[in-house]
Order: sequence, then structure tokens, then C-alpha cells
Amino acid sequence: MLLLSAPFDPAAARPRPSPGAYARVGAVAGLVAAAGLALDRLGAGPPGLGRALAVGAMHGGLIALGWLVATGAAPGWIRPAIRLAAGAALASVAARLGPWGPVGFLAVPALVLAEARGRPEMLAMGVGGVRLSHAAVGLAAGAFLGAHLLVTASLTLGYRVHLSDLAGYAGALAYDAGVNVLSAEWLFRGALFSACWRRGSFWPAALLTTGLALVRYLLDPALPHAAEARAGAVFYLGLVGLTACALRAWSGSLLPGYLAGLAFFAAYRTLTP
Amino acid sequence: MIVLPLLLVAVVTTVMTLTDQGSASVLRHLYLVPTLWAGLTQGAIGGGLIGALAGLLHAPVALPAVERDGLTSQTLDGLLSLGLPVLAGLLVGLLVDGSRARAARLSAVLAIQRRLAGPGSLEDALAGVAEELRVTLRARRVALLVGNDLRTARLASVPVGTLVDADSAAAFTLATGQAVASADLRADPRIAASEPPSPTPLRALSLPLASGVGVVGVMAVEWTGELSRATRAAAEELALHAGLAVENARLTMRQRRFADELSEKVEAATARLRELDQAKTEFLSVVSHELRTPLTALQGFSELLLRSVLPPEKAHRCLVYLHTEACALGRIVGELLDLSRIEAGRPLELRPESIDLDELMERNVELFAAEHRQHRFRWTPSVPGIALRADPDALDRMMKNLLSNAVKYSPRGGAVCVSASPALDHPGMVEVAVEDDGVGIPADQLPRIFERYVRVPHPETAAARGLGLGLSLVKALAEAHGGRVEVDSLPGKGSRFRVLLPGLDAHF
Repeated sequence: MLLLSAPFDPAAARPRPSPGAYARVGAVAGLVAAAGLALDRLGAGPPGLGRALAVGAMHGGLIALGWLVATGAAPGWIRPAIRLAAGAALASVAARLGPWGPVGFLAVPALVLAEARGRPEMLAMGVGGVRLSHAAVGLAAGAFLGAHLLVTASLTLGYRVHLSDLAGYAGALAYDAGVNVLSAEWLFRGALFSACWRRGSFWPAALLTTGLALVRYLLDPALPHAAEARAGAVFYLGLVGLTACALRAWSGSLLPGYLAGLAFFAAYRTLTP
Repeated sequence: MIVLPLLLVAVVTTVMTLTDQGSASVLRHLYLVPTLWAGLTQGAIGGGLIGALAGLLHAPVALPAVERDGLTSQTLDGLLSLGLPVLAGLLVGLLVDGSRARAARLSAVLAIQRRLAGPGSLEDALAGVAEELRVTLRARRVALLVGNDLRTARLASVPVGTLVDADSAAAFTLATGQAVASADLRADPRIAASEPPSPTPLRALSLPLASGVGVVGVMAVEWTGELSRATRAAAEELALHAGLAVENARLTMRQRRFADELSEKVEAATARLRELDQAKTEFLSVVSHELRTPLTALQGFSELLLRSVLPPEKAHRCLVYLHTEACALGRIVGELLDLSRIEAGRPLELRPESIDLDELMERNVELFAAEHRQHRFRWTPSVPGIALRADPDALDRMMKNLLSNAVKYSPRGGAVCVSASPALDHPGMVEVAVEDDGVGIPADQLPRIFERYVRVPHPETAAARGLGLGLSLVKALAEAHGGRVEVDSLPGKGSRFRVLLPGLDAHF
């Protein structure tokens, strides 16, 4: 029992990472995203490439931020963070280069797992094994919320549940699995929620990180601009976020929340206004 | 079980869908039934979950109405129906959780009191208390460190061999009385944890067990996962109760020990009183016998002298007997007078003067040698230059008592040696020693032989007469002179008594 056996120093304090590290990650991701948007605006390169670079840079920045928070800016954090951010950006760009391009998104989770392997701080943020039952509960919760979204959106807003373009749907799913859901779970549940929960209690940590995740989605240009759609997004993404936090706390792993997010977005992608 | 409320929610939803009465359907209120059921049986988590599920299932009915009709009283009522179940479930669940927690705390307090007041060792009781606390607080581990000194404190409910680090959080709490809370032990910078971080935080509290006399121990608790304020408050409250209960248990145990000791002492004193009573009875019997023997002789010889005309030799012999018995009577009376003085706490009256030790020893040895022909008496003249100032009568009585004992406890005859010399192991003292090769004294009886009325029983000396006062008088007389008496004895080998008296140069 550590309270009895481990030496205790009441004056010791937690080392704080310098804000400079966060600023650097934000600045680099912002610059690359701006460069992508500039390319898109100028029409340079294949169509949509600049925008894909911007999206990839944004997700890469979120993943790098998650890495920075999880490692506490310990020496040696920069190289893995750069590799992860670059991987996300490259996957996003590759998705635009051909019909099988979106498959490249699936390399990002593999890259994340490879970088996280053998690091105790990654285990602490929830990158580790999970029971099958926990994963199933996560999948069921996401599926329930997704189904609820479909029913409510179709009854309330008259949206259609429709799959006209299977390849596009598969690409969107790969995007969600590779960067969209991954970056949200990695940063908001893995790094931020774990750190906040570790320092305090569940509800403040869950509400804070879910609020931050909502802000990130509301700033996403891909989200429909209609007021009712944004209200729905706040409602459902809030529920998905809180569910993911509960699943992370309950199971000790990010996977159930990740599966819940995937299942929810899989349903969401079938909606057509 | 939460399955039944879930089934009920599904039934209500199915019925509402089939009846298709819209958001204003009265059936929506049925959602409160499974919600309250879950809240009452499963607490806030169950009530909140079922309430949220009910609200979500009602949303596809309520929200289209809002979209279609806008905010009317009916649609507003429908919207309220979305949140009402979750609120009701949470509220009822929280109340249930609170009352259950209070009941559990009360039950734990009673269990702690019962365990600590029960029979058995304090270690077992503390282990039981730690387990009660662990179950009540739903903790991963609870350890109790009882005692205000880390080196002697008792540890309960920890693996065998667990050592408390002198710089640990528990030791800090014990020393300062301050609680230590850690949101995650493995990631707390104040704690040098050797365990790797885990996905689930390891919460911990080190709480002082305080009583009226200060900190009497520490309660160390670990939880995995969430630690609510209510649980923390409960832990603090239980630590307070446990501290008082531990102190009460220690006081009770001390009282029990004290009562046991007192009972043992009373028993020993009663036994000693019985022994004394018995000894006094025996003493009276012996005294009567000892007085009657010379008195009978005095009466007999005096009557013979009065009634008969005896030849001069025979008359002289009678007078010698009369004198001897009168002397014996006088010695007994003298001893009894000394005894009464000692018992009354009055000092013995001494008339010190310079003593000729050789003359004293020779006279007594010759006297005893004349009376006890089966013993071989030997005396060693004292070293020249020995000077002693003492009460000659007292010294004479000491010598006679020691010689009398040497004779009595050598029933088959033997050597009796008397000597006087400077005590080499006690500078400034003169020792007068009387040594015999009689039955000796067992080691366990040696501390008692100088007590009054004590006679060491031995099969060979059962017929010996005596009051059991001789040695106590020798001791009292030696101490009155500023000296002491020592004895060396081996059963079957004999005894050697040394009377140590201050020399002429020493303070008298």
C-alpha cells in the first residue's frame, strides 16, 4: 500500500509543461492548415487537395496536442508528435489522390498504436487492452444514439436515411475511423479527460472535455450550418461525448468510446437533408 | 435488477408507439414508473440511466411536435416530459443513495464498536474493523495503523511483512495529525510511487484516528476510480468514530489488565494474610509450648526443693537446672519483647560498647558444645586488630540464634564453625560467620527465611523447636547496628550465615 510504503514529500509539486510547447503545436498545425486553404483558394494542385491538407493538419494538430498532454511535454515528445501529425495530414492528402485513397486513413490508428506501444503514460490515458463486453457495450451505446438520431432527425426535420454512394460512405467511415473520431477520442477523452479525472472527479472532467469537444465540432466547417442541425449536433455530440467519458472511466480504455463514436457517425453519415 | 425497469421502459415505448397519440399522450407519464423503480433500487446511477433512456425514447415523439407546431403549451409539456424522468430518477436515486450511505455508516460505526469491545486480541479486532470500513466505503483497501509511535504501532489488514516507511504519507499523518488526500497515488508528485500509472486513478486518503488524547493512529484507504465527496466525508466521519473506538478499546483493555492485576494482588494478599494467620496460630501454639517447658521444669524443681530435704549435691543440681530453664525463659521473653518492638515500629534499644569478639565467640561455642555433644564446634580466633563497637547483649543474642539454628538444622550432628574477620567484599565492615554442614536451604526459600514466623520445612528437622523468629531478630539487630545479614546455602550441603557489622572506624 503506497500510503504506507512510499516516501511522501508534502512540498513536492507537479512540473508544469511550458505553454510554449502547446503554442508551437498550435502554430505549426495552423500554418499547415492555412497553407492548405491557400492552395485550395489558389486552385493549385488536384482539386480538394489543399482542403484535405488543411483537414489533415487540423486532425494531426489535435493528435499531436493529445500526445503532448499525455506525455507532459517530457523530453523526446516532439518526434512522435511530428510523426503522428504528419501521418494524419498525409492520410488526408492521400485520400484525395484516388478511389482507394481513403484507405490511407486506416494507417493513422495503426501509427498511433505503434507510437504508443511500450509507453506507460499511454497506458494511463487508456491505450490498452479492453474486455470484449466493454467494447460491445460501447458499440451498442453508439448504435443506440445513432439510431435515435436517425429516427428523431427523420421525424423532426424530415431528413432521409439514404445510401446513394457506397464508396463515398466507406470513405467517410474511413475518415471517421482514421482521424475524425480518433483525434476526438485521443485528445478529449484520452489526454484531457484522463488528466482531469485523475486530478478531480468524473463530472467536472466529463463536462469540461465534452464542452471542448463540442467547440471543436462546432468550429468544423463540414458541420451543416442550419440552426436545427447545430442544435441537434450539440445534443447528440454532447451525449456521445458524455457516453464516451463514462465508457472510458468504466472500462479504463479508449476503445469502447471510440467504437461508440464510430457507430454513431456510421449512422450519421446515412442522413441526407 | 435494472433489467425489469428496462423492460418496463420498452413496454411503455411500444404501447405509446402502437397507440400513436403523440407527445400529449398521458401514457408518457408511465415512464416515471420504471425510472422511480430504478432510482429506488439502484440509486442515482440506475435512476439517471433509466430516466435518460425514457427521455431519449420519448424525444422522437416530442421533438417533431415542437418542429411542427412551435412552442405551444402542449409541445412545451412534451419537452418537459423529456427531462422529467431523468430529473426524477436522479433525485430519487440521490436520496436513496444518501439514506443508504447514512445507514451503512451507522451500521459500520456499530460494527466497529462491537468488534473493538468484543473478546479477542486487539490485532484481530482491528483487522475486523478494517474490513468493515473497506466494505462500507467500497474501498479497494483499508489499513489501520494504531499507536502513536511508528516503531511500536500495530498494523491491521495489510499483507504480512508490510513495513511502514518513516517518510510515508501515513507516517506524516501520524506525526502531524494532518490528513493526506491523493487524487491518484501513482501520479501524485508528492508520492514516490514505484508502481506504473494505470488507466484508472487510484484515490487515497490517509486520515488521523483522533481521540481526546490526540492522534492514536492512522486510517489509510485506497479506492479505484471515482471517489465522491460523500464517500470522502463518510471516510472522515468513520475515521473519527474509529479513533474514539480504538481509544475506548485501549482504555478498556488497560482497565481489564489493571483489574486482572488487582485481582491477582488481592488474591496474593489474601493468601499471605491466611499464611500469617496460620503462622500466628502456630506461633501461639509454639510460644505456649516453649514457655510451658521451662515453666514446668521451674515448677517441678522448685516444688522438689520446697517439699523435700535433698542432699547438697542433688540440691545444687536442681538449682543448676532451675537456672538453665530460667535463662531459657528469659531468652524467649526477650525475643518476644524484641518482636513486639519491631512490630510496633519502635527502634531496638542498643547500648553499644567495645566488644571482645574472641571472648564472645569462645563463650558461646563452649556453651553450645557443652549442650550438644554430637556436634563438633570449632571457632577461629579473630584477626588481630579487629575492633567492633556493638551492643554486647544484642551480639550475644545474634550469635546464640545463629548457633541454635546451626544445631537445629544439622540433626545428624556435624561441624559448626564460627569465625570473625574483616569483610573483604564490604570494606569497613566486620563479618561474624556461622557455618554448618546441615540440611541447607532450598534456593526458592532463601528470600523468605528472614521473614517473621517463617520456618523452612524439612523432614529431618520437623521435630526441632522454635518460634520462627530467630533470623528475623538477627536481621533486625544487625540492621539496627547499621549492618546486614547474608546467607549462602546449598540443600544437603549446609549453610553459612554472615553478620556484617560496621567496624570501629565506620559510622555506628
